[in-house]
Amino acid sequence: MINVFFNILIFPGLIFLSIFGLGAEYFDRKLCAKLQNRVGPPWFQPLADFIKLLAKENVIPNQADPTVFTLMPVLAFTATLTAFFYIPLWQTKALSSFNGDLIVVLYLLTIPTLTFFLGGWYARSVFSMIGAARSIIQLFAYEIPLFLAILAPAMMAGTLSLSEMTVFYGSHPWLVLLNLVDFVIALVALLGKLEKTPFDIPEAETEIVAGCLTEYSGRLLAFFRIAIDMEMVVGSSLLAAVFLPFGFNFGFAIGFILYLVKVLFVVALLSLARTIVARLRIDQMINFCWKIVAPAAFLMLVVDLVVKGLISR
Amino acid sequence: MSEEDNIKQQLIEKFAFLSDKIIVKRARRIFAEVPLANFPEVFDYAVKQLKFSILSALTGLDEGATLGFIYHIAQEKGIVLNLHTSAPKDNLVIKTVTKYFPAADAYERELVDLLGAKVEGLPPGNRYPLTDNWPAGQYPLRKDWNVEMLDKKEVNKNG
Amino acid sequence: MDRYDFKIPIGPQHPALKEPESFLLTMHGEKISSMTVRLGYNHRGIEKACELQTYIQDMYLIERVCGICSHSHATCFIQAVEEIAGLQVPKRALYIRTLVAELERVHSHLLWLGVAGHEIGFDTLLMYSWRDREVVMDILAMLTGNRVNYSVNTIGGVRRDITAEHIPQILKAIDTLEERTKYYIQIATEETTIIKRLSGVGMLSYDDGVHLGAVGPTARASGIDRDVRRDDPYASYEDVKFAVITDKHCDVYGRAVVRVLELMESYKIIRQILANLPDGPIAVKAPRKIPAGEALSRYEAPRGEDVHYVKANGTDKPERVKVRAPTLANVQVVAHMLKDRYLADMPIVIAAIDPCFSCTDRLISVTDAGKGTKNTMTWPQLHSYSIEWHRKSGIDFSELNKKFKVPGN
Repeated sequence: MINVFFNILIFPGLIFLSIFGLGAEYFDRKLCAKLQNRVGPPWFQPLADFIKLLAKENVIPNQADPTVFTLMPVLAFTATLTAFFYIPLWQTKALSSFNGDLIVVLYLLTIPTLTFFLGGWYARSVFSMIGAARSIIQLFAYEIPLFLAILAPAMMAGTLSLSEMTVFYGSHPWLVLLNLVDFVIALVALLGKLEKTPFDIPEAETEIVAGCLTEYSGRLLAFFRIAIDMEMVVGSSLLAAVFLPFGFNFGFAIGFILYLVKVLFVVALLSLARTIVARLRIDQMINFCWKIVAPAAFLMLVVDLVVKGLISR
Repeated sequence: MSEEDNIKQQLIEKFAFLSDKIIVKRARRIFAEVPLANFPEVFDYAVKQLKFSILSALTGLDEGATLGFIYHIAQEKGIVLNLHTSAPKDNLVIKTVTKYFPAADAYERELVDLLGAKVEGLPPGNRYPLTDNWPAGQYPLRKDWNVEMLDKKEVNKNG
Repeated sequence: MDRYDFKIPIGPQHPALKEPESFLLTMHGEKISSMTVRLGYNHRGIEKACELQTYIQDMYLIERVCGICSHSHATCFIQAVEEIAGLQVPKRALYIRTLVAELERVHSHLLWLGVAGHEIGFDTLLMYSWRDREVVMDILAMLTGNRVNYSVNTIGGVRRDITAEHIPQILKAIDTLEERTKYYIQIATEETTIIKRLSGVGMLSYDDGVHLGAVGPTARASGIDRDVRRDDPYASYEDVKFAVITDKHCDVYGRAVVRVLELMESYKIIRQILANLPDGPIAVKAPRKIPAGEALSRYEAPRGEDVHYVKANGTDKPERVKVRAPTLANVQVVAHMLKDRYLADMPIVIAAIDPCFSCTDRLISVTDAGKGTKNTMTWPQLHSYSIEWHRKSGIDFSELNKKFKVPGN
């Protein structure tokens, strides 16, 4: 029983994920700064930001719905944390797994976006309402490609359990190469999910201030911020588990370091993407996702089906 | 004959009353004094016939008993015609030039706010550049205005 | 306006605007159906203040109309004063003015490039172009002593001369900048997301541009071939060869292209100036009292045509100073360009005219009528407040002031 609490609260649960989230944010910001020829923040900056926000006053706008407004950051926080437990990290077995946990993880990762929408919508300010509308429009654009891109490797492995998928790819390492296109698609979708440039449309600061989060302040904003950091780690861990499924059999120490490297690699790809492109407009983003990314994901699904048929014959 | 003198000649031919009112100060700078009553036709002729198609600026001046208005209009080739007209302070009505130059809107609002001119035909819109609660009858660019006039009023208003 | 329409206030405080102005947008979904502009949040009473001070004081005041194009305003004003006084400014002084003017254009256009990048969410461009802008800022600091508000002009000439050591340093900096600018031209023409965000946005046709009176790069990107430097030459622009860049795109992309290509022209001008710099004095003595008269001076600021009208009445103070900053001419254009466009295009369309609202709003008194007396500080109060503030942080000039008998202490 104590073991379970330890796992949930400390390692690899709440505390570890929070610290890793802040660390990943630092890594992202520092790398971005280096790519942009800047100095970048010191290592404790994300933590300092978090503590500073905790100390600030909570302001809830008069016209906002206080229940929804305060509930949403907590919901975003818990949903990302829960999703983390089903992802295999340094061994083929996740903290908890069952056949179908892949679907659960994907749905849990949708919840933060929904909380942005609800929180922004119920803040009842023009900027946050536009941000909310944009984030939900964007959700429909990237969610389908993301599901398809992760479903294709799962179908290849013949299972909907993330842990069993890593076992399958452990024994068929060459099939990973087939998933490279899906990896790129999933990265693009993850950029949309994390609302990073070029898909930071819902929080485009030069247009709508901070989008959904415009009215948030203090502790609530701190929770949202750390939930976004955690979402980045969980999303990257998911991509690492599905598309980089190697190095699970070297024991804890090496496996753990490998896990960190894999996640930071995915984060690095994300920050690279946001330094080399400009923000798209919402209509351009929808067009891009539905006309290029989604068809590509469909095509890969068909390719995987054919290859699977050939292998099993 | 230089282009500037040519323009001067054309203006005098068309409007005899301008015969001793036009001075070419230097290359590309013509200054003309136009009576308020004749101003619209001279302006129309300069813009449409003489191709002064750029409104560079519109200056308002406090000249004691009258307010002066200088329309600085320019040709593509760089010649600037400065048409000066003036209106008495007890009847400060000038006609808008926004139908020739939509950008004159802001310049004319400046005249309204800062010098107290009345511009006939100015489309409705926000005032510029003063604040919405600026006290009425205070025209900062008039020579008899100074900051103290405003301060006293503000002090009184705010107790 | 139907029931699905709503209004968004952009400004007076908004991340897209670096200065306080208010744009009230009526939105239909993501589309802007109409817009009203409210200017005037930045008025400082400069035109009135100019009438109360001497010409030489006015020059420094006029310089502070705008931080970015300070040399533009100062030169434009000083040209009008010199014309009234009938001063023959030495050629070397005119060359130095032109040099500083072009360096200022380089710094302003690089600044714009960065701001434009930021507005479309491309912060890397912002970081890069502002880093390169430091090169030209350093050169300006070397030549004039200041990074902005150079104060290099004086009535009758310039205050500082260029020495022989300066020239190779400037040339070296220009070489660096030219190479970097070529890189930006390459980015602007090849990077897909930039082209996607900029082309077709903020359309302004040739006819509309002429009708609404667009100026500067905004006009030139719509094919309007106007440049005061060529049409109404001042300083030493008659002696240098340069092309007036125009573009037929008529959109924000065209405005970006015009500005980066203008950078290349500026480098050309700077090289010609340095190669042909004449010898001689840098200033003539100017009278304290300027004879009665009037003059209109035009100047091609980085943002467009700047116009100053000065009327002198024979004393040491001007009768009237009128400033028409380029942004005021372009504000109408913005309202036209934004109609039926997306909200997402709003920041870049506004930024594309390179707005400078502190230039646009320059008049009116130091008291803010909206806030009442509580927040109003008189000049002596402000003066003593600043001295007190510095004393707290350990800087105390009071002893020194006693020695030099500075008034107000």
